[in-house]
Amino acid sequence: MGQSSETADGSPLRQLDELDVIVDTDAHIRETVEDLIPYIDDRYEGAKWIVERTEHPERDIYSLTHSLPPSLHAERGGWSADTNTVDKKLQELDEFNIDYGIVDPGLNLVLPTVNNERIAVAMMNAYNSWLLDNFLDEGNHRLKANLLVSHHKPDKSAEEIDRLANEKDVVGVALPSTGVIPPVGHERYDPIYQAASDHDLPVFFHGASTNTSHVFPLQRMYNQTYTEDHVIIHPFSQMWNLSSLIFQGAPERFPDLDFVFQESGVGWIPYLMWRMDDHYLEMNYELPLLQQMPSDYIHDQIYFTTQPLGHTEDNPKHLAMAIEMAGPDNIMYSSDLPHSDFDPPSELFNRIRSHFDRETVENIMGKTAMDLVDL
Amino acid sequence: MPSKHKVATTEELSDGSRVIAEIEGQEIAVFQIDGDYHAISNYCVHQAGPLCEGKLTGDMYIDDNGWDWNYDDDEKHITCPWHGWLFDVTNGENIHNSKYRVPTYGVEVEDGDIFVIR
Repeated sequence: MGQSSETADGSPLRQLDELDVIVDTDAHIRETVEDLIPYIDDRYEGAKWIVERTEHPERDIYSLTHSLPPSLHAERGGWSADTNTVDKKLQELDEFNIDYGIVDPGLNLVLPTVNNERIAVAMMNAYNSWLLDNFLDEGNHRLKANLLVSHHKPDKSAEEIDRLANEKDVVGVALPSTGVIPPVGHERYDPIYQAASDHDLPVFFHGASTNTSHVFPLQRMYNQTYTEDHVIIHPFSQMWNLSSLIFQGAPERFPDLDFVFQESGVGWIPYLMWRMDDHYLEMNYELPLLQQMPSDYIHDQIYFTTQPLGHTEDNPKHLAMAIEMAGPDNIMYSSDLPHSDFDPPSELFNRIRSHFDRETVENIMGKTAMDLVDL
Repeated sequence: MPSKHKVATTEELSDGSRVIAEIEGQEIAVFQIDGDYHAISNYCVHQAGPLCEGKLTGDMYIDDNGWDWNYDDDEKHITCPWHGWLFDVTNGENIHNSKYRVPTYGVEVEDGDIFVIR
């Protein structure tokens, strides 16, 4: 990492189009239950029988709720966008000159709220089959994708990883991470991590305030606005999950596995890292699982995607400084398109281009992601 | 020296509707609201989104009694379709923070034709 406005050849990066590659590490699609029903495997016929007869599956199969409706103002709304075809997704990438998108689910971010374990496994399986059939087998290799896994049944999720890990353009494993109880460091998830590690696929954790009821029920009861809910639930989820992951020793158990935390921005990272290091040094007697500082595990094995950056315009340098504190080698651009709090590439690029050297900027905007998922 | 650019006729622009024209390389929208015409740049100062392609909305405000939420349905606020930032089309100001301001332009109507002055 270098911190300079000048590059090795003396020319600072000025324009987005000077970048060789931009990778969106959180490119959502919007699958519907109707899309997935035909892909529910025959071995889950009981689950299929129930799902296809459910009039309101988003609330009676999943428990998708908000404190108030989101995005009443927005036309580019995550829940109303029709990004469920390759062409639509590529149009979104093209609109912002993004070269590659790592595809994540839309509705199935809510998978942790499915109460019935058999149906959760069936929907996981159906989503992955639908994803491959509709997005990855279309021959356009600009779209890469994470396999969806369910926290309900880690052994079934490991089977799912084994089933599809070698498919072309599968680059990671997505464990929707708000509502994962116990949190992600628990050894019950080791079958997922083992399978991901065996196939050299990083594990992506993506939060969702749609799931607040299943992990922070008091907050959901007393948050009177979507804003109160959404502002805290993403960082709450990721702080709990990152702390759990590190202190329960998952990186130590799976030293070759990389983990990616999505959709909480970057400001929280240095805060939590300092706090975790401080506790590690003080609380040695309860942390024998760890063999190095929490921040060292983070630098070695943990990545973060940038969206939502937040409103950083008042002093643009502060965002770059936060990335510097978090560790720029582990930070990757993400857009979150088509959701209404998306960040276009310029929002990040304009904040960092004069703070870091050219290589660091190029890495954050795309090359780190390319290395991570072997693009 | 500013010049006049015809963008529409009064017949074409009904109440609450808009036209977006390209004038000297810049996209400028003209809205008709309650018989008045307002010209504003089709450019959101937040992240350069196409501001004037969004919805016109009113404004939620707190009642004088300090409790009730009221909705002023005087739809003069343009909502950026990208992130929902709201600007008053009559003066170009962001409704939450007047430091964010979108350029506005003069409008003249002559013999049923609407002109932007720029």
